[in-house]
Amino acid sequence: MLLAAPTPLTLPDYVVIALYLAGTIAMGVLIGKRIKTGKDFFLGGRRLPWWAIGMSLVATDIGGTDIIGVGGAAFSHGLAVANFEWIGCVPAMIVGAFVFIPFLYRSGVYTVPEFLERRYNVGVRSVMAVCWLLFMACNLGIMLLASAKMMSAVFGWNEVACIVVTAILVGGYTFVGGLAAVVYTDMIQCAVMIAGCLLILVLGLIEVGGVGELRARLAEVDAREAAAVNESSIVTDDVGAAKSSSERTSLILPADTESPFPWPGIYFGLALILSPAYWIGNQAIVQRSLGARSEFDAKASYIWGALLKNIIPLIVAVPGLIAVVLLPDLKSGDSAIPNLIGVLLPAGLRGLFVAAFLAALMSSIDSYLNSAATIVSNDFYKRFVDRDVSDERLLKVGRITTVALVAWAVIFAFLLTAMSEKSGLYAIFQTLMAFFQGPAFAVLLIGVLWRRATGNAALISLLCGIGTSISLYALNQPVIYAALGWEPLFRIQEPFLYFSIWAFTVTAVLLVVLSLLSGPVPEEKLKYVFGGHSRATSTADSSTATEGGTS
Amino acid sequence: MTPLHRFGEFLRQSLQAIPLPAIRVLFLASLVALLIWVLRLPRSATCPPGGAKRWDENLKLGASVALLIQILIYACL
Repeated sequence: MLLAAPTPLTLPDYVVIALYLAGTIAMGVLIGKRIKTGKDFFLGGRRLPWWAIGMSLVATDIGGTDIIGVGGAAFSHGLAVANFEWIGCVPAMIVGAFVFIPFLYRSGVYTVPEFLERRYNVGVRSVMAVCWLLFMACNLGIMLLASAKMMSAVFGWNEVACIVVTAILVGGYTFVGGLAAVVYTDMIQCAVMIAGCLLILVLGLIEVGGVGELRARLAEVDAREAAAVNESSIVTDDVGAAKSSSERTSLILPADTESPFPWPGIYFGLALILSPAYWIGNQAIVQRSLGARSEFDAKASYIWGALLKNIIPLIVAVPGLIAVVLLPDLKSGDSAIPNLIGVLLPAGLRGLFVAAFLAALMSSIDSYLNSAATIVSNDFYKRFVDRDVSDERLLKVGRITTVALVAWAVIFAFLLTAMSEKSGLYAIFQTLMAFFQGPAFAVLLIGVLWRRATGNAALISLLCGIGTSISLYALNQPVIYAALGWEPLFRIQEPFLYFSIWAFTVTAVLLVVLSLLSGPVPEEKLKYVFGGHSRATSTADSSTATEGGTS
Repeated sequence: MTPLHRFGEFLRQSLQAIPLPAIRVLFLASLVALLIWVLRLPRSATCPPGGAKRWDENLKLGASVALLIQILIYACL
């Protein structure tokens, strides 16, 4: 191993980091001066331009741990991890841009759960709001802790200080500036993140000798590994060796691959379910497009984001492959990018990568913070406590909630620190979104496509879908399947893509069957089905004409 | 072996029987189908309300470029 100790930072590195942080905070505070109402705080006053939202979408999607984790996964499992940024983002963003986002924008809602109440009923809205709030609140703590652990390991910084300082900085500008501050700071963060990661890619490729040389040397590494495996007689057939060699740089892996990315999971679970669920139904993502200054800006932001998404795997996943060539003796994928920084970046430029890491971290935390505050304020306070709340009062509620969520995130991060990672709780919180995203997408998709889908059917099928995900997760835990005397249901590592397929299927089938057994859908709900508004209007027009004729 | 395991095994074997080049065709065909859909969208869905005043105001262009890059990537890797 070329580098095991934390990467030392010098004064120029700290200057770059300080400049980045000062710029971000200053922008957040400046924007905060214009915030007067709840609409300003939660939707940026509906004045946000497409280019800022598009960059914010990309920055939010890439977290601090992703910068290092995706490269690490590419080091361990190959380029297939890039599917999550390519087919797992671009097609869904384009369909979202032209079909779903304009529809949600026109409905004038603040949150996705609010839309679900208008289409179905308050039960569906409440379940979804609770799921998103639970996920976001837990995820805030997890992001703080995971990033602090990483900063501690990579840069030698104090873990507790990292948690507290990050929470105060991000919480500060989100409290002051709301969604507008989040989006505009995300824009800076996106640029810094791309610049920092691009630096690693370019310097890495120069060090290796270009793309052709990288491919040739990856093939050499694979041949060496295959020979070592054959010699040690762990695997004796040549097929296994050939498989691992071709898998390193391939996006499409066979169904029986040992990596967590087999093609059925990528195509059916990721591209068709989890990705649209994320880009069309994730409150933290959709909220910024609801704050666009026009419907066209909302659409354009998703297209701009999709274009940017094409380059993300090149700058976050390919460095993992470069590490395979330059640092072949590394044992863990997680240490690939930190070690690569130590090898490739001279003192001074490391600060830019640290700024990129902080940018990725802060852009995700601020988005989840603002979205969680929006859900508490709109889906709980305004819906259940005070339906006639003024916009100014709602701004206060949003800000108080932001402070409470920051405090909760710090406490939760410390609680997780106290827990043993072997307890399994940490892993459960990390996969929390996979439990409900498939069912949530089934309910949203069928709701906007099918006039016959009813509220009660949606509520029951949503709960059953979430139950299916949790049951599959539980049945795949060694303690449980061993106690039952079973074999595991899934054979790949981390089969969350498969959970989403089955949970989506169960929810969709139940929703269709139960809806067919239910009574008709009230006319006012049909405004929230594609083509429903014009149909509802024409029905109203014809009934008015009939009434007029009768009279 | 429970019925769930038998069903899973059946699915696993069925999916393994599909050759990888056919899977690549599936990925590419999905992206090409999406590209065709984008190209056939009416201008009202892809331009600002007053119509595109500049060539880059038609979102078809950006969406098509993003999808063409995807098609190239999945054809090569």
